[in-house]
Amino acid sequence: MAEAIAKSAYTGGARAPAKKATFDLFARPTAKTGLVSWLTTVDHKRIGMLYGGFAILFFLIGGLEALMIRTQLIVPNNRFISAQLYNELFTMHGTTMIFLAVMPLNAAFFNLLVPIQVGARDVAFPRLNSFSLWVWVVGAILLNVGWISHVFPHMNFGGAPDVGWFGYAPLTSKAFTPDLSTDFWVLGIQVLGLSSIVASLNFIVTIINLRAPGLTMMRLPVFTWMALVTSFLLILALPAIAIALVEVMFDRNFGTNFFEVSGGGQPILWQHLFWVFGHPEVYILILPPMGYVSEILPTFSRKPLFGYPIIVFSGVAIGFIGFGVWSHHMFTTGLGNVATAAFALATMAIAVPTGVKIFNWIGTLWGGQIMTRVPMMFALGFIWMFMLGGFSGIMHSAAPADAQQQDSYFVIAHFHYVLIGGATFALLAAIHYWFPKFFGRMVPEFWGKVSFWLIFVGFNCTFFPMHFLGLNGMPRRTWTYDSNMGWNEGNLFATCGAYLLGVGIFTYFAVLVWSLFKGQKCGNDPWDGRTLEWSIPSPPPEHNFDAIPSVHARDAWWYEKTHKDEIAKEKAALIQAEESHGGIHMPDQSWYPIIAAFGLLIGAYNMAQLHHPVVMFGNQIFASHLPLGIAGGVILLAACYLWSLEGPGGYHLHLGADGKVTESRGDHH
Amino acid sequence: MTSPRSDHRKIFRFAAVFLAGLVLVSCTGCAWLHQVFSLSGPQSTMVTEGPVARSQWDLFLVTCWVTGGIFLVVGSVLAYAQIKFRAKSEADEKSPPPPQGHGNPLIEIGLIVASVGLLVIIAIPTVRDIWYTHDVPEAEKGNALDVTATGYQWWFKFEYPNELVKLPTGGEAPLVTGNELVVPAGRPVRVQLRTVDVIHSFWIPKLAGKVDMMPNRPNFLWFKAERPGYFYGQCAEYCGESHAIMKFRVIALAQADYDQWLARQKQPARTVPAPALAAAGLPQVRFASLKLNDGRALAGSTEFDANPLAAWQKMQEPAAGENPALIAAGRKLFSSKTCISCHTTRGHEGIGITGPDLTHVGARSTIAAGVLENTPERLSQWLHEPAHFKPGNKMYFGGYLVQDPTGAWKQNFTLNDAEVNALVAYLHSLK
Repeated sequence: MAEAIAKSAYTGGARAPAKKATFDLFARPTAKTGLVSWLTTVDHKRIGMLYGGFAILFFLIGGLEALMIRTQLIVPNNRFISAQLYNELFTMHGTTMIFLAVMPLNAAFFNLLVPIQVGARDVAFPRLNSFSLWVWVVGAILLNVGWISHVFPHMNFGGAPDVGWFGYAPLTSKAFTPDLSTDFWVLGIQVLGLSSIVASLNFIVTIINLRAPGLTMMRLPVFTWMALVTSFLLILALPAIAIALVEVMFDRNFGTNFFEVSGGGQPILWQHLFWVFGHPEVYILILPPMGYVSEILPTFSRKPLFGYPIIVFSGVAIGFIGFGVWSHHMFTTGLGNVATAAFALATMAIAVPTGVKIFNWIGTLWGGQIMTRVPMMFALGFIWMFMLGGFSGIMHSAAPADAQQQDSYFVIAHFHYVLIGGATFALLAAIHYWFPKFFGRMVPEFWGKVSFWLIFVGFNCTFFPMHFLGLNGMPRRTWTYDSNMGWNEGNLFATCGAYLLGVGIFTYFAVLVWSLFKGQKCGNDPWDGRTLEWSIPSPPPEHNFDAIPSVHARDAWWYEKTHKDEIAKEKAALIQAEESHGGIHMPDQSWYPIIAAFGLLIGAYNMAQLHHPVVMFGNQIFASHLPLGIAGGVILLAACYLWSLEGPGGYHLHLGADGKVTESRGDHH
Repeated sequence: MTSPRSDHRKIFRFAAVFLAGLVLVSCTGCAWLHQVFSLSGPQSTMVTEGPVARSQWDLFLVTCWVTGGIFLVVGSVLAYAQIKFRAKSEADEKSPPPPQGHGNPLIEIGLIVASVGLLVIIAIPTVRDIWYTHDVPEAEKGNALDVTATGYQWWFKFEYPNELVKLPTGGEAPLVTGNELVVPAGRPVRVQLRTVDVIHSFWIPKLAGKVDMMPNRPNFLWFKAERPGYFYGQCAEYCGESHAIMKFRVIALAQADYDQWLARQKQPARTVPAPALAAAGLPQVRFASLKLNDGRALAGSTEFDANPLAAWQKMQEPAAGENPALIAAGRKLFSSKTCISCHTTRGHEGIGITGPDLTHVGARSTIAAGVLENTPERLSQWLHEPAHFKPGNKMYFGGYLVQDPTGAWKQNFTLNDAEVNALVAYLHSLK
């Protein structure tokens, strides 16, 4: 087999590039450390870490927003924050947690793990990967830029967005939110969507084309499978919201009437477009976490995933049916009986593949040797909490009952059980589980467990009473409430729980930071893992694998561990073959992705305030922001053009017999 | 030296005190926890007062039983697996891995079939109730009362299309009221849902689940209050700055009481015969409590909450000791301060329609869209600082303040204590 592999295209460098027809405005950066190396990096591991770092920052910001919301609701008729600020906080809490915390944390793990789990040295398009990262940063800036006007009132942005994360028309119309905050929200989400589409295409190509020899689709680790399904969901769901956002932008700035009621527009159209994106988005958030759990449970049960094909197929089924249930967010909009019934039944149907996953996870535990390490505790917490969130989801599918629960605190309880108890627990499990792999150090078990119990108890104290608040008639997005509604105790209890949850989250990340510097060092496989990432050193070298692995079974690394001699022989042959092809081919860093993203920032920042004059030092320079917006667009297009002229570049790594890695440039052959 | 006997006594005493303390703490704790999980508020979806809300709650219970049953089974198996297969010692962890089984298709397909079966139990009543809660049953259609509810940022207008009132200008128009919907008990009510601005949602939890008020899209819902009562309702779709305090009430009356109410409502605004105003101008009377009560906007006093329907009924009669001079002064101010351009006082000067109809505002139990109890103190606080109680409201931004062509807000008028006092007397005379 080794010879067949050596002949295959996976050995790198087989393609001879055309004679150098490239043009470099900037010298190609080669720094391996320092700021420039991070800004220009194309290494999927570094990009993953940047995604993760930014996402955790926004996760903490979103958490602080939540704590301010809970503090406002601690007693009835509280005046801790104003109605306006409250509305900004819940809008930005939702937007931040979805687009700036959970999605990029998932993107971080896609970057960190997918190339390694498929046995590749990087993603298919490394520079495009860097572009998606920086475009995401641009989106994050645009969404949050409005906060500045709370500090500097003369920056006339009208505060942060305050139309809700769902931005229902016609509240987004200029008649009702005349300030710029909504324009920034529209462009911010649009830019984030661009980032996600680019990244998704990259991962689809990576997973389909860069799989190591022998790694058939039905041998893919479940996490990678879920990354693939999620990527497809993203590229199919995001165009709907992109169209809707363009329509809002045109209504606000160019006099169209898609949603303008006075011009015959239909606000209901926004809801359909938004939820055709928004419901698959729920699965975009939860499928990767299902992937983490499907990796963690087998490791700490020491046996393979129960019913792998069913888990994979149910993930795909969820992806498909997920596009057919959007109107269950709209049961109260007067859809008509037949449509309501159809979407109610479809929603019940999607509970089946979700339930199947839970059955299979229990099957994985059954007969295993369960080791309750911290990642396992979070993963088990995930199953319990996600199950509860799933049950309240089934309750919502009964449309007439949902007429009472819709837009009440019952719904808040439901989706926080899914998104904290589900997605976030799984992400915390994943961070704890793969931290040793990417930082080479362990997180102390004791403090991990302390943070788990704080988070688990705090989470349930916060959100369990919300079911009852909702059934007791408390609506969502409610800045304050009266003392005679019977909601006082439940809210006080929930707020105390939220503080406990905050302490737990703080503990979790404080321990992580400590471990970054002081954690006990670990080898390549501290958990007795089963997938390929555990076969390489911690932290992984730049080129991931000395030899591209050949895969003989699901749980490839588990197989390697039990067939050491066979694999060692194969590996030696593969290294030999690759060196004879000129060494390990690695992609070059580039300035252009971040410059293109910078152009996008300038363009979008100025287009958001298009009709406002540009004033500098008291003098009006331009009557509108159009010239500056065009300037941004020119930077973006120029960077993309020069990017394509730059050529793919690349260099080779050579593995010495002594284990030393040497680098060589310009020796394409 | 103490004897062992007295030691025992001390221990006994200590134990008794400790136990008593424990009982006390756990009782108050339980009582408190009982409150945390209580469903007895005025907007409880469990305490149903009509067939629509009841069918919705009963369906909710079906979903609870089914999912609760699944949770019991699946949760037990999961808990059992977690305990049974846990590596209990270092040696367990070091032992060779367990058999590497990959699954059991028969079990998996069996579980899929079982879950589909369980969902059918929910699906059948769901589909039935979708049709039932949608519209008034055929048999009762002839008996239904038609009402139109319209959402405004941030209050509700109610119209009775079949109850026409004579306009002072001649002609007839449907009866209009604001924020308090009065209906006959025991009869189905079909509410047409409209909005003039953004999306609102019409929700009276004890009577019926919500239906949205969509621009350019007529919706409706129906409910029936089975007996007379006072019900809380609230906007349930985020609609801008003061969404959280956009409330309303539904008052269900016995048919005879309803007819009496209707007859009164059809009267034009009540005029209290007034002697000529003294040349000195406004009487100098002040309310004791013009302060904002710690910034709290409490909806109801304790007496009010104890029996809101009785409190509402009391509002229907003119108050004793009305001051005709003060009322007449208030009526003048209602014009001179431009209130009339947004509020209607049918038969008096008010002709505006952008704000709630105030023809019978004195007979309502709440003001400011159900936020404040309609007492003289509350009404004067509201008139003093409307933006404090309802941020962003159009009476303040657009009435008290108006926008100049550059978009800046300029003071249009102010109200001093005496003026507020007179306006309160006038508005409360409008029974």
